[in-house]
Amino acid sequence: MIYTIFHETIFHYQGTVTFSHNIARLKPKEGVEQSLLDFRLDVEPNASEIHVFEDMFGNSNHHLLLREPHTELKVTGRSKVRRNIDQIAAAVAHLRSTPMDYAEALQRLSGFHPKDIAAKQFLFESELIPVGIDPIRDYALESFRPKRTLFEAGEELMGRIFDDFEFESGFSDITTPVEIIFEEKKGVCQDFAHFALSALRSIGLPARYVSGYIETIPPEGEEKLFGADASHAWVSLYIPGAGWLDLDPTNNVIPIEQHIVLGHGRDYHDISPLKGVVRSSGSSHLSVMVDVRRSAEIETPVQQRQLQFFDEELKQQQNQNQ
Amino acid sequence: MGIFDRYFSEYSFDEMVDGNARCRPHWQAICERIEAVGIDALKAHQAEIDWSLEENGVTYNVYDAPGGNTKRRWTLDPIPFVVTQSEWDDVAKGIKQRAKIYDLMFRDLYGDQMLMRQGILPAEVVFSHKGYAPEVFDFAGKKNFELFFYATDIARGPDGKFWVVNDRVQAPSGLGYAIENRLSMNLVAKSLYPGVNTRRLARFVEEMKGLIDRLAGGDRAKAALLTPGPFNETYFEHAYLSSLLDISLVQGDDLLVKDGTLWLKNLSGLTQIDTLLRRVDDRYCDPLELRSDSHLGVAGLLDVARREHLSMINPIGSGLLENPALNPFMESIAHFFLDEELLLPQIATWWCGQPNELEYVLEHMDSLIIKPINRGNASEIYSGRKMNEQARKTLRKQMIATPYAFVAQEEIGFSTVPSFTGETIEPRNAVIRAFSFKRDSSYWVMNGGLVRVSTQKDAFLVSSQKGGTSKDLWIVGDDMERPPIDPFKQVPCDIASIDKVPTRRAENLYWLGRYLCRAIMTTRLIRYTLKGQINTYREDTAASDIPRHQLLWAITHMTMTYPGFLDEKNKTVMKYPMKEISSLLKDQSRPGSLAYTITMLSGVNLNIRNLLGIEAWKLFDKLQEEWQAFSGTGTMQNRSIVNRMDQLHVRLLAFKELLEESVFREQGLVIYEIGFRIESALLLISKARSLICLRHEKAVEYELLEALLNSCESFNAYRACYHSALQQENVVAFMLLNPQFPKSLMYQTHKLLEDLKALPKAKAKMAEYESPLFLAYTRLKSVTADALTRTDETGSVYSELEALLAELSDLYLKASDEFTKTYFSHYDE
Repeated sequence: MIYTIFHETIFHYQGTVTFSHNIARLKPKEGVEQSLLDFRLDVEPNASEIHVFEDMFGNSNHHLLLREPHTELKVTGRSKVRRNIDQIAAAVAHLRSTPMDYAEALQRLSGFHPKDIAAKQFLFESELIPVGIDPIRDYALESFRPKRTLFEAGEELMGRIFDDFEFESGFSDITTPVEIIFEEKKGVCQDFAHFALSALRSIGLPARYVSGYIETIPPEGEEKLFGADASHAWVSLYIPGAGWLDLDPTNNVIPIEQHIVLGHGRDYHDISPLKGVVRSSGSSHLSVMVDVRRSAEIETPVQQRQLQFFDEELKQQQNQNQ
Repeated sequence: MGIFDRYFSEYSFDEMVDGNARCRPHWQAICERIEAVGIDALKAHQAEIDWSLEENGVTYNVYDAPGGNTKRRWTLDPIPFVVTQSEWDDVAKGIKQRAKIYDLMFRDLYGDQMLMRQGILPAEVVFSHKGYAPEVFDFAGKKNFELFFYATDIARGPDGKFWVVNDRVQAPSGLGYAIENRLSMNLVAKSLYPGVNTRRLARFVEEMKGLIDRLAGGDRAKAALLTPGPFNETYFEHAYLSSLLDISLVQGDDLLVKDGTLWLKNLSGLTQIDTLLRRVDDRYCDPLELRSDSHLGVAGLLDVARREHLSMINPIGSGLLENPALNPFMESIAHFFLDEELLLPQIATWWCGQPNELEYVLEHMDSLIIKPINRGNASEIYSGRKMNEQARKTLRKQMIATPYAFVAQEEIGFSTVPSFTGETIEPRNAVIRAFSFKRDSSYWVMNGGLVRVSTQKDAFLVSSQKGGTSKDLWIVGDDMERPPIDPFKQVPCDIASIDKVPTRRAENLYWLGRYLCRAIMTTRLIRYTLKGQINTYREDTAASDIPRHQLLWAITHMTMTYPGFLDEKNKTVMKYPMKEISSLLKDQSRPGSLAYTITMLSGVNLNIRNLLGIEAWKLFDKLQEEWQAFSGTGTMQNRSIVNRMDQLHVRLLAFKELLEESVFREQGLVIYEIGFRIESALLLISKARSLICLRHEKAVEYELLEALLNSCESFNAYRACYHSALQQENVVAFMLLNPQFPKSLMYQTHKLLEDLKALPKAKAKMAEYESPLFLAYTRLKSVTADALTRTDETGSVYSELEALLAELSDLYLKASDEFTKTYFSHYDE
């Protein structure tokens, strides 16, 4: 499955900004589950410096220095990603067949296993996710019962969050504490992801935040509007010795086909798409536009995938929309 | 009876007294001398030390003092902590070994992570600690990613050896205090302890300079000490060390990042910084990648380090080594890296992240000290012995929920040391902070240190935040170095140069000028208006409401507190103006109000506190206190308000005078003057537009002219110049066009043009900010008062005058904009 993704983030400033450092994380992560076929980052106004580096979670970071006076900073990522469905499905099947239960996992994690080291950085409280309070812990333990594989328990926890929580945008923002989300039982995908992470970590299981996209399909007979998508978030649970199990509590699915990974982190902060420091008196706000679309399965030969590619693609899409 | 008799009978485990109640040999000379001179002499010496510390401004800021931040005077005991050379040599060996291990561990954890991969150190110890910085996870191979500076707290344990109590690597404090302690002790040592020779500290300082030179490629101008600023607890030390090491003292706002490089902002431009002695904690160093709410760092700093354009003492990320949970693994780590046994004993420590250890600790809580692995408040260190049942239950619950976040330590009875309390000599617990830095692949340990003494005997916590005094550490022995030539001699007076003025200081001075002028002019105008109100009530003879109204409008215009008196929806505001005036005086949250301006003034003052003399400080504190008290009072009679404003006015002028006479022009006073003049011109223009541009009947115009002159404190000067009655034409000539009168617009503009020539970016060609002022100057030159005040009979406005003032206002605003852009932003360089 090949997707083209358009992800535009705009900072709107109250005053004029003449100098700002920013970090954009808009380049999808590569791995066994997905390959990046093409990527382009556009910055408006032009960045005077761009420095790219990879962070500890394997995400690609673009450090941008802006020095032209501006009141709006637009950073747009355009990518083409192939989801390697067969590999993903095989990996999920392997995880499903892993018999390890919760007690065994705790037993193993409390000891020393070189393979588990990297996962253990996702075991503790992070900036946005404090140590889970008792009720959250109890909520998680309800699913992680004895004699039940981590896979089954994780899948059930995902389903319970899907059933118990209501999707409601506008209720929360990224600073809304997990406890409030739990109390009110509502929020958006980030909230559900943060809650799930809090729950899993509170019972001693490593879990990471996944930032990405999900393909949406318009109702029967309607044309999909450009930019109608949103960035998405879900979680990934570590099954010791076997690997990471992605769980999307917002949709109650194990991501295979329709999800595209942007990056990983301990919480949203580690992989926020755009952040910056400006010296300005006024406030600023961020607006985002995302579009996710399936492409034809035919792969374009590398030589032909030149810079013009996306512009044409966009034009076509816009023509379709008119 | 001797001074020490009681001490000798009550000692338990003491530095000076041995197990047989005899004075240890290396304390003999000290002990005998104190006996010989007596308590009164000791008091006199204490007074001399106190005086010296106070004279040198040695202070320590206390965070949680009631009433906000408080400077505490640093205190020093005239009795030193004495250690023999041979014992110290052993300790130094242990410190060197430990520093080396920490350095290797530092690069391993931000590199190959062999310690974790080989199962020597549990990953949880590292990842659960807040000092671990994922942002630098792969920095180990980078240039100068090393632990250059290492401090350790040690105390003598029950086996008679020095034990490690804490390791400090992130931004260890105390070196400056240790050196200042030594200098103060030198004052009294000759007469108090003649013949006692101690090892010198000077060499250490020289070697530190050498380290900085090496890192900065031989150019010390490229090195700086990064301080959180004057509010930090050890700010004194930052200022002190930077001058001792001969490097710039900078705050985050002094710096900016571009081209992957760190730059220091000066009035003359940018200069590169490639070495930082860092006193800002790891996570506060870069708001872009680390804590986004930090105002102490520099956006992009971490990326400069990532690109290897910056060395730091110590690098960001070193905070992860300040983790007591490392202790239980130190033996194995020492074997892993060096194949050696640890030389310095450490306190037995259990990391609760392991099930067996947790069980043991929960069972033996009574006899253990329990603390979080992350450094926090001293109040989070629990002595099981002293806890009540409830507290123990709460702690137990926390420990079970997050066991990895806790360690338990054996409670150790450390040695005491004789301590002078001001009246008697008593045993007190003490901790030595020892300092070392890296040279080549080994560490150099200072022959001395900072000794902190507990407030009470048996206090297992010794913290400068909690009070308690300090001591000098004396290493005594036979093979003394020759004292070098006065190592701490005063650095020759640096000829102040306007080029070198840091931008942040310049910007603050500019706003100091503007706010101070604004405060004074606002005070005058409101005071004058209030006096008029009082007279109106008294005489009840006001011919017309117009002057009163014009004045109130002038206030709104000048303070830009719209809608204010111009609010057409508010019918009562003109009739009962006191509510609005009161808000303009007291409402601190309202930009333009006097209270707001004073708050802003206080803010810029704080940022340049080093520049102002103590008298200016005291005066400003008083001014602020009085105004706050006034702002807090309810309704007052107008007459009392006027009295308060008289008082404020005098204080502001006195402050202005103290400031102007105590700062060099080259230190930046010229920038302050520019700010003051620009503000004064803008406010004068605003006032003139409100008060004398409209035509009225003669009597009304007369009152308004009088208002303009009086609210500028210029009435008498006018009278000295014109012996006639007030006339529009003459007032315009006097306040706007007179080239000699210092408050006139012409004079201010002329002076401004002169001031600007003194600045580094003044060139033969006129700068952007100069041309509007030059234009203003020529406009003022080319008009006559006669022309400005000429109107036809029917006009209601002096339109020529109004047009000129509007134009001048724009020119001044443009000049101010261009000026700040040129000198304060640096963004186009």
